[in-house]
Amino acid sequence: MERMSQLNFMDIYKLLPKTNCKECDLPTCMAFALALVKGEKQPKDCPPLLKPKYKQSLDKLNELFEGVGVGGKDLHIDIDTEKCDGCGVCVIICPVNARYCPNSLSGKLPDFPPNEYQLFQIKNGKSELLNLEYCRRLEAEGRERECRVCEVYCPRDAIEIKYYTAK
Amino acid sequence: MTQRTNNQERIQRFVCPGCSLYCDDNQIVFSKNNEILDTYGLCLKGYKKINEINSKNRIKNPLIRKNGVLKEVSLDEALNKVKELINSSQKPLLYGFINTTCEAQINGIHLAKKINGFIESNASICHGQTYLNVIESGFNSTTLNECINKADVFIFWGSNAEESHPKFLTKTIFSRGKFRITGREIKTLILVDPRKTATYGVAGVRDLYIPLKPGKDLELIQFLKDMILKEKSEVPADGFVGVDKQDLNRFILNLKGSENGVILFGQGVINSNPNENVIKALIELVDLINETSKRSRFSIIPMTGHNMNGFIQVSLSLLGKMGQIEFSDNQLIESNKDLISKIKDDEFDMSIIVASDPISNLPITLSSKLTRKPIIAIDCFITPTTKLADVILPVAITGIETDGLVYRMDNIPMNLQKIIDPPANLPSDEQILLKIIQKMEE
Repeated sequence: MERMSQLNFMDIYKLLPKTNCKECDLPTCMAFALALVKGEKQPKDCPPLLKPKYKQSLDKLNELFEGVGVGGKDLHIDIDTEKCDGCGVCVIICPVNARYCPNSLSGKLPDFPPNEYQLFQIKNGKSELLNLEYCRRLEAEGRERECRVCEVYCPRDAIEIKYYTAK
Repeated sequence: MTQRTNNQERIQRFVCPGCSLYCDDNQIVFSKNNEILDTYGLCLKGYKKINEINSKNRIKNPLIRKNGVLKEVSLDEALNKVKELINSSQKPLLYGFINTTCEAQINGIHLAKKINGFIESNASICHGQTYLNVIESGFNSTTLNECINKADVFIFWGSNAEESHPKFLTKTIFSRGKFRITGREIKTLILVDPRKTATYGVAGVRDLYIPLKPGKDLELIQFLKDMILKEKSEVPADGFVGVDKQDLNRFILNLKGSENGVILFGQGVINSNPNENVIKALIELVDLINETSKRSRFSIIPMTGHNMNGFIQVSLSLLGKMGQIEFSDNQLIESNKDLISKIKDDEFDMSIIVASDPISNLPITLSSKLTRKPIIAIDCFITPTTKLADVILPVAITGIETDGLVYRMDNIPMNLQKIIDPPANLPSDEQILLKIIQKMEE
């Protein structure tokens, strides 16, 4: 719902066929627009939109909903190495690290070689992402899936959670 | 997921000598030829410290100034010149000693006693004032482990911990200690600072920022002391010293109603109010809260630098005095002048600088007086002080090429280790000061 302020709801509705054909299993195109914004449906779930005469609208809708987390894009956690100063907050605050590396509960950084579940490690003065396999955004259920602690608590704002398809 | 390569030989735990936290949760990976491959756990400040072994400014041979130019000589010749300079002076001055081990500090005091000199550490322009107050009245201090496990309010008064000690906030605020297992959400951060420093970037909605005007510290502390003694809040409607009523109410509530709090103070308190004793007021505030409050317990920790606490412990235990140490006839005498007045009034005729750079750090009216008399510098790297010295004795880097004892910022002793051999078999600070003492006895 955070994207509502950036996306104008009526602009989205204007890009749809506005026929209320119900082929998407929703009663009206207005309901489909709301489902798009909530992330429950994707632009390709509207069969009339895939026809050639709506190609421009489909391209615009795909562009608008690029970063919302649906549509088959991959999760990336990018660390800006110029801003990072190796303070280690991302290692200590990550709930996966806290569960599997008991040292980090008392503020100590985990040992090398890293645990297979560990997400972040500090190497040569900078923070480094090891693997995303056990990140809460991919593995957990419900509200835990919205985990953003590494991005919110980084003192230098060096971490960004983004969805895109890496080339 | 191990990262073994063919070249990896061993992994060693490392106590980092980068700042006065002396973190011990770091590891270094060595190759088969005993070279450093990678480091794990070091923040950027510690990583730059390890990289000093590759510095281009390293001095590898003793140097003496002849006809105005520095020339390389043997260690014997340099020590003979040191003896000649000391014998022709009556009031030598010894300064520095913060960035060395406790063993080197002990040898420095023995040398000062032998040559009837005046010895002071960098604490005299830094937290020396704190300890002068502590010796008079005592203070309620605590250790870092107590902060991790029990503290829930952190007050940073004139201190920018995110930049001076990068891993301090990580260890204390973001950790999940034994009695604070929920972690960051139940800890409150209060920042008292005229400007929004990097530490302000850590603060969130539950934290408090007090934009104190410079020079108004004593007024605010006196006001807080008055409010703590009253049952109901009597904060004036338009605030006090430029701080709003709501912020002040929250501040007082945190002081009276938290379970365990810590006040951390730094340069913002020491150097900005020269005629007022703010440190004494802060210590009295902590004592007042501990006496009157039913549930809260507060402590106070000065944010010191490197091994400053080590020099204070060493000098207090050897001599019973931590600053203004002066010897005459090989005995300790009363001295009523501190380092800055000695330099300003030209009451010295040569100086021995150990692991410090006063030409850069002191104002030019003082440092120009140092350069007019002979300087003996004991240092690893080329600095403005070594460029103007008459004799330079190079040494090994503390904590990396030589081992020893140091004291952390909360007065806990830590052991530094040697992980690599120094180039050209350079001695440590401790060994070179011992050689000077032995030379003077010949």
